[in-house]
Amino acid sequence: MTDSGASACPAVEFHDVTVAYGRRPVLWNIDLVIKAPGLFGILGPNGAGKSTLLKAALGLVPLVGGRVTLFGRPLAEVRSRIGYVPQRETVDWDFPVNVMDVVLMGTYARLGWWRRPGAAERDRARAALERVGLVDLAGRQIGRLSGGQQQRVFLARALAQDAELYFLDEPLAGVDVRSQERIFRVLDDLRREGRLVVVVHHDLRTAADWFDGAALVDMRLVAAGPTAAVLTPENLRRTYAGHIDVLDELGRAVERGGRTA
Amino acid sequence: MNSLAAIPYNTLVVAVAVAVVGFASGVVGCFGVLRRRALAGDAAAHATLAGVVAAFVVTGRRDLPTLLVGAFVAAMASLGCLVVIRRFTRTRDDAATALVLSVSFGIGIVLLSGLSARGIPGAGGLEQFLLGHTAALTATDAITLAVVSAAVVLVVWAGLKEATLVSFDPAFAAATGWPVAVIDYALVALVAAMVVVGLPAAGAVLVTALVVIPPVAARQWTDRVPTMLILAGVIGLVAAVGGVAASAAVPRLATGPTIVLVASGLFAVSFFCAPERGWFARRRGV
Repeated sequence: MTDSGASACPAVEFHDVTVAYGRRPVLWNIDLVIKAPGLFGILGPNGAGKSTLLKAALGLVPLVGGRVTLFGRPLAEVRSRIGYVPQRETVDWDFPVNVMDVVLMGTYARLGWWRRPGAAERDRARAALERVGLVDLAGRQIGRLSGGQQQRVFLARALAQDAELYFLDEPLAGVDVRSQERIFRVLDDLRREGRLVVVVHHDLRTAADWFDGAALVDMRLVAAGPTAAVLTPENLRRTYAGHIDVLDELGRAVERGGRTA
Repeated sequence: MNSLAAIPYNTLVVAVAVAVVGFASGVVGCFGVLRRRALAGDAAAHATLAGVVAAFVVTGRRDLPTLLVGAFVAAMASLGCLVVIRRFTRTRDDAATALVLSVSFGIGIVLLSGLSARGIPGAGGLEQFLLGHTAALTATDAITLAVVSAAVVLVVWAGLKEATLVSFDPAFAAATGWPVAVIDYALVALVAAMVVVGLPAAGAVLVTALVVIPPVAARQWTDRVPTMLILAGVIGLVAAVGGVAASAAVPRLATGPTIVLVASGLFAVSFFCAPERGWFARRRGV
């Protein structure tokens, strides 16, 4: 894209964002600015609202207060520049589609109503499958893949969107080591190409190795900035207070400098 | 009967129309099943009886188009109730569906028995919408049903990409800018339309079978949505025609139950014999 706005405005801006499910607040007054390019981790305990933060950015949950701008504009104007990888468990993997069918879904938004994917879309989908190393499985029904392969199919679908800003929701949950490395190599490439990749992630031990920026979330924003500055023992204690069981493990992880992946 | 010419014109037209209705029901039903909304269709189907009777009471007419418009209004109203209950109460989905189904069907039965108790002239025959009865269909009615069915199939085929996307991954569809709720309601409305069109053949109680059993049977044979749609259509066609033929051959045999029996037979074959997903194949695989 030749849009100069991409470099002038931060890619993602949350202004005072509050989200509630019913009367229970899930996110409270979140102010967060994320600049492109980079690999940015959203970290925090279970139920802290990490996924909700992504959904708020993507317009998938109503905001009680505040607003989100992407590339300095409202979401509706820049949707085609945004890619999304939802959590793997949110879909039925017994659905009668094969790997290629799913990856092609990444091209649907640009096709618009009624038009079917053609040769150009198939080429794009094939290139995306090559990047995640699944081109040989293009014809396989998606239920006959391992968890890691399924996650890579979702990533390939997002790559087929050819976006500038990617949101990924727990792309490494239940994923084997080989797929993990493959996925992170692709995300790293995206950063090198000048894009911003925002990842909801639950494993703090790997966070320091992979992300150059991070936010710690527990309903409120606890800290945000360069990963090393964010993952301090003090910040972790504030984020994970009340989650005693993980605290010990975290303490040990932090002592070892987060290099225990 | 040893030649087509020996079959009366009316019977022939009805048979062709029922074939088209059966095909369309199977096709449309696929998205009801894939989106896990099969029971919502059943609630809509049971509500149609009240719509049929109400249409007769309000207009005093009993031509098929009038009655089926009433049925469609009732079907959409019941689906509207489902949406409202889901949205504004904490009732769970299955309970809400059962509630709408039984209440709307109860209303239909009360209206129907109230009519026959008062001996209102012209009301006789409405009870045929309970279990289905194709013998009374005129050629004109049958052609109307076939045309509506064909239109519904064309709409589904045109929106195949959108319907598949929303059924498989609604969150991704919404994130990429598709109006998920609109597509969802359109799919439900198409199922409701097919339930109404299938009403004269299968009846309010069992018409769901035509939109549920063929897709479930078809899923056994294929891993692709387009193939599943075509197979479900063919299975629906065979069930509908088989059911109508059997009930025409045997006096007093209701059409709806016969259709269900034929469809269930095809499902049983699919369940046991399908390659890969079939029972035998899985036993061998283990």
